[in-house]
Amino acid sequence: MSNFEKALEGLVVCDFSWVGAGPITTNVLGQCGAEVIKIESQKRPDILRKGGPFKDGIADGLERSGYFANRNPNKKCIALNMRQPMAREVAIRLIEKSDIIINNFRVGQMEKWNLGWEDVKKINPRIIYVTMSLQGTDGPHKSFMGFGVNLNALCGLTAQAAMPGKSPFGTGTNYTDHVMVPTHTLFGIMAALLQRERTGLGQTVEISQLESAIAMKPIDSMVYAANGEIMGPLGYGDPNASPHGVYTTLGYRKWLAIAVFSEEEWAALQKVMGYPDWAKDEKFATFAARKANEVELNEHVEAWTKHQYASKLMKQLLKEGVKAGLVNDARAAIEDEHLIEREFWSYLDHPVVGMTLYNRAPIVFSETPIVMEKAAPLLGEHTDEVLTDFLGYSEKELEALKAADVLV
Amino acid sequence: MEGVHKNRSLSDVKVLDFTGELGPYASKLYAGLGAEVIHLEPITGDPLRRKGPFYRGKADNMEASLQFLYYNGNKKSLVLDLHREEGRNIFLKLISKIDIFMESCVPGYLDTLGLSYDNLKEVNPRLVQTSITPYGSVGPYKDYPGSDLTCSAMGGFLYLAGIENEKPVRACDDQSYRMAESYAAVGSSIAFLYAKRTGKGQFVDVSAMEAVGMALENAAQYWDLEGSIRRGRGKEAGSATVHPCKDGYIAIVAIMGKNKIMWDPFVKWMKSENVEGWEVFEDPRWIEPSYRRSVEGYETFCRIFHQFTMKHDKMTLYERGQANRIALSPVSNGKDLLENPQLKHRNFWQTIEHKNLDGEITFPGAPYEFGELDWRFGFPAPRFGEHTTQILEALDYRKEEIAVFSKEGIVHV
Repeated sequence: MSNFEKALEGLVVCDFSWVGAGPITTNVLGQCGAEVIKIESQKRPDILRKGGPFKDGIADGLERSGYFANRNPNKKCIALNMRQPMAREVAIRLIEKSDIIINNFRVGQMEKWNLGWEDVKKINPRIIYVTMSLQGTDGPHKSFMGFGVNLNALCGLTAQAAMPGKSPFGTGTNYTDHVMVPTHTLFGIMAALLQRERTGLGQTVEISQLESAIAMKPIDSMVYAANGEIMGPLGYGDPNASPHGVYTTLGYRKWLAIAVFSEEEWAALQKVMGYPDWAKDEKFATFAARKANEVELNEHVEAWTKHQYASKLMKQLLKEGVKAGLVNDARAAIEDEHLIEREFWSYLDHPVVGMTLYNRAPIVFSETPIVMEKAAPLLGEHTDEVLTDFLGYSEKELEALKAADVLV
Repeated sequence: MEGVHKNRSLSDVKVLDFTGELGPYASKLYAGLGAEVIHLEPITGDPLRRKGPFYRGKADNMEASLQFLYYNGNKKSLVLDLHREEGRNIFLKLISKIDIFMESCVPGYLDTLGLSYDNLKEVNPRLVQTSITPYGSVGPYKDYPGSDLTCSAMGGFLYLAGIENEKPVRACDDQSYRMAESYAAVGSSIAFLYAKRTGKGQFVDVSAMEAVGMALENAAQYWDLEGSIRRGRGKEAGSATVHPCKDGYIAIVAIMGKNKIMWDPFVKWMKSENVEGWEVFEDPRWIEPSYRRSVEGYETFCRIFHQFTMKHDKMTLYERGQANRIALSPVSNGKDLLENPQLKHRNFWQTIEHKNLDGEITFPGAPYEFGELDWRFGFPAPRFGEHTTQILEALDYRKEEIAVFSKEGIVHV
């Protein structure tokens, strides 16, 4: 479809991963040109296929989930029933041709299929073998279970995401699954590929989801270790800025984020507000004073914002150099002119649900651009194609595997 | 360690990091695997040096910002005034030896200095330049001033951190910046591998507003497929809810969707703990998400569960819940994390001596483990200009020249 050279063209990914962080990782590799072959089975579909939202709210079947789709565009999907012993031979042929093999099963599942690292490296010594445990493969909590929401809490993201005096809330999502874990996995894979350029050999890449998450939110523990302090709830504030917050404007759940760090920005905010008398008070004259009287300060700012349109105020503030931004909901982000101009979103045609929304990875390459080409695959959509064209099975062998319940 | 390869690091990769508050985690990922990372600071210093919290409250010490010390560990400090011609000459000499140049300058700033990517490419055609900015270097908002809060807001991420009509709350540690940085590290590595294979460098543009678009979960698809706007989870009884306990809070996912197989062990656990009213949880209506989302469902769940949780601390609930195969975890604070037995067992925390602060600082450790690469914290974050002389000498400047640059304020040593 595209005439551009793709950055990772030629790489093949044998993708056993499912649900969250694994498929997001391979999604990025695929967008950059790697051939990602996703292994599923009617007996054990990626459970996200059953997670909402569904096209028109209809949850029937396995092909209507937008949750699943957005993590799996540009991939090929083969149906391979690993419970059948003959399935391993198919997996081995794929492993022989792959550069990366990835799973996010519980520790030990791949070994049950005799596809642990020790087996796989004998099949293909150049392969990068990626695992994604929750808390590492040793230690007293190695078998503990959890979802993104649990990991958010455990890693310390949730505690400060709270209004003072209220229960912690967190991000409202399985945040760790979306960025912290996939980006570390991706970087680990790339580091291993870079080293393979030199050594010619593959290696293991083991992600601890907990440890990679903590690496992106270091300060609470560092402050406790250094100063013996426990960081309190942030609300929407910032220790280095005042005023700093989310202010009510006209409209249903419409807020404007305003962040004032420097004295220049505070002066500019006053200018846009029309130099109100209250802002001249000693109580707001310095950063320390504004911080000490922040509740009152925020009330004043909100009294000014709440009868105005957020979009209009934002433009006035930005023009004067004050950091301001609409608190966009998903619809507003989808319709945002900047993201549209940058081609962050794309609509891809899918045989069951038609033209539906995807986003690319947040990386714009000048020479090897990401091109969004194919909607998420149907379960088993590419089984025949991959087995014959790529793995070299004959029609007859294919039929035999089908008859033996291997390709379901 | 098998030690198949002598060199268990990315020591042949050279990264120049000209970022400040937004950007430093990207090159830290390289530094952690042993790449040579030079942190270029303006003559006024990296602004992150002045951002709290500070070690022992030393707010007037340029070497005591805990954020600076974490994000710049194992990097070398080079202080150069790019507004002076001689400073730019040094910079261009350095660029010829660099694989990846990361910067978070206001879009267009480097162009005004004659240091656009096109100019740098002439010096080094293999150069990967990665720009990390609030809104990116192209598009209608590229010149907007931005902060973590405004990027999180504009990209649709902040909106999810609340329910109903409540205002959203912020995640800690400027997550929109961290997201941009981690994707910048990934994008740079992809472009670098491509440059190694083809000899062609390129410009990589990463925007914090766009990066948060990766963290919308399924919210964009809820609008696209069902025409509905979602906010955060947190009010569906037992499904991603936070509950108080004796010494804080815990988070629990005892059920998702209509998955009774998940719910049964929870009921069994409540029974075995003899929680008053546990029988209520046997009712099949708990399998219905609509009931769990109802006011009655949520309040009933909390009433019964809290009289149990309030008797125990978060670690006890964590261990007992997990022993019963319940996805329950503590809402950790900094102290809890330092005392976490799993992290202790894995020697996760790294304590590094900082001589100039007369003390030790504890940092997070390895985010991953490799068969043939070692992660390391490395040497402590550099003093302002600590490596200027060393780096200039490696570029064949003589001691006397460096002394002149220093005297004239072109460099800081």
